Amino acid sequence: MILDYTRNKYASATDLEDGSVLIQTRVEDTFFAAAVEMVVKVPLLEITSIKGKILRAFNDECQEAVPLLQRAVGVQIGTGLIKTVNGLIGTSGGCPRMADLVLECCDEVILRFTVDPLRQIVSRSPEELVEAHRMFVQGNPRIIGSCVAWTKGSPLLEGIEI
Amino acid sequence: MVIRFSRSKVIGVERVDENTLLAHGVLDDHIYAMELDVTVRQPDFEIIAINGRMKRVTTPVCDQGIPKLQNAVGLRIPEEDFARKIHRVVGREGCTHFANLLVECCDSIMQAAVYGGWQKSMDKQEYLKGQLSSIPSLQNSCMVYSGKTL
Repeated sequence: MILDYTRNKYASATDLEDGSVLIQTRVEDTFFAAAVEMVVKVPLLEITSIKGKILRAFNDECQEAVPLLQRAVGVQIGTGLIKTVNGLIGTSGGCPRMADLVLECCDEVILRFTVDPLRQIVSRSPEELVEAHRMFVQGNPRIIGSCVAWTKGSPLLEGIEI
Repeated sequence: MVIRFSRSKVIGVERVDENTLLAHGVLDDHIYAMELDVTVRQPDFEIIAINGRMKRVTTPVCDQGIPKLQNAVGLRIPEEDFARKIHRVVGREGCTHFANLLVECCDSIMQAAVYGGWQKSMDKQEYLKGQLSSIPSLQNSCMVYSGKTL
C-alpha cells in the first residue's frame, strides 16, 4: 500500500552556557512544514524567547500565525500549560499546528530533565530497580497519578503514603 | 553543544478503502520507543481499532499501559476535547507517551482526510468548500477556517 500522507516531527533539547535550555522542533508533513525554536530559563522553566517559521502550508494565510508565537513568551512550563498555550495560540482565531509545536518544545524540556535520573535508575540491578523507582517518586511527587506506573496499586508505590 | 534529549515521531497514513484510514506511528526518543496502528472510519472519524507495541520503557509496570489503548476505541476525533480524553483514558490511566503518539496519529489522519483528496488540477477554494461541507469540524478550527466564506 502506498502512503497518502506522511509526517516527520523531530525535537531536540540542548543546554546553553547560561544554564537555559534551547529547544528546536520541526515538523514536515505532506501538506505542511514548520519549525519552532525556544529558550527556556532554568529553574523557573519560563519561556524567555521564541521564534518560528512556516516553510510550507496549504493556505497562504497560515503565515499570519507566525507572530502569534510571541504570546508564549513568559509562559511557565507547569500546571495548566496545555490550556494556556492552546488559549494563547491554538484557538479558532489562531493556529493549532503552531500551538502543537510549542507544546512539543515544552514536552522536550520536561523530558530533558527526566533523562538523567532515569539513566541512573535503569542502570541498577533488577533487585534494586523497584527501590530506585520508589526513591525517584519520593523526590518527584508530582508524577503520582500521571500514568499506570505511578498510580495507586502500582508496585512502584508500595510503602509510599499517597 | 550536545543534545541532551531528542524525540522523533514518524507517522504514515494509508487509505485502506473508501471509508477507512490507517495510521502507523512510531515514537523514538532518548527514553522511550513505541509504535501504534490506528484504524479510523469515515465519515465520523471514529477509532475502530488500535494496536500498540512498546519497544523501550523505563519501568516493569509500563506494559500495563498497552491494554488501556482500547479505552480510545469508539472515540471520534472531531468530538470536543478529544485530545484531553485521550490524555486521560490512554495517558493517565495507561501511558502518557502512547497517548502522545495516538493524538499525533489521529491528527495525521485528519490532515490526510482534509487535504489528501486535493490534486494540482483542482481549484483550492472549490476543494476546501467541499471539505468544509463534508467535514464540519473543520469550520472554525483555526484562523484560516474561522468565518471563512468559500
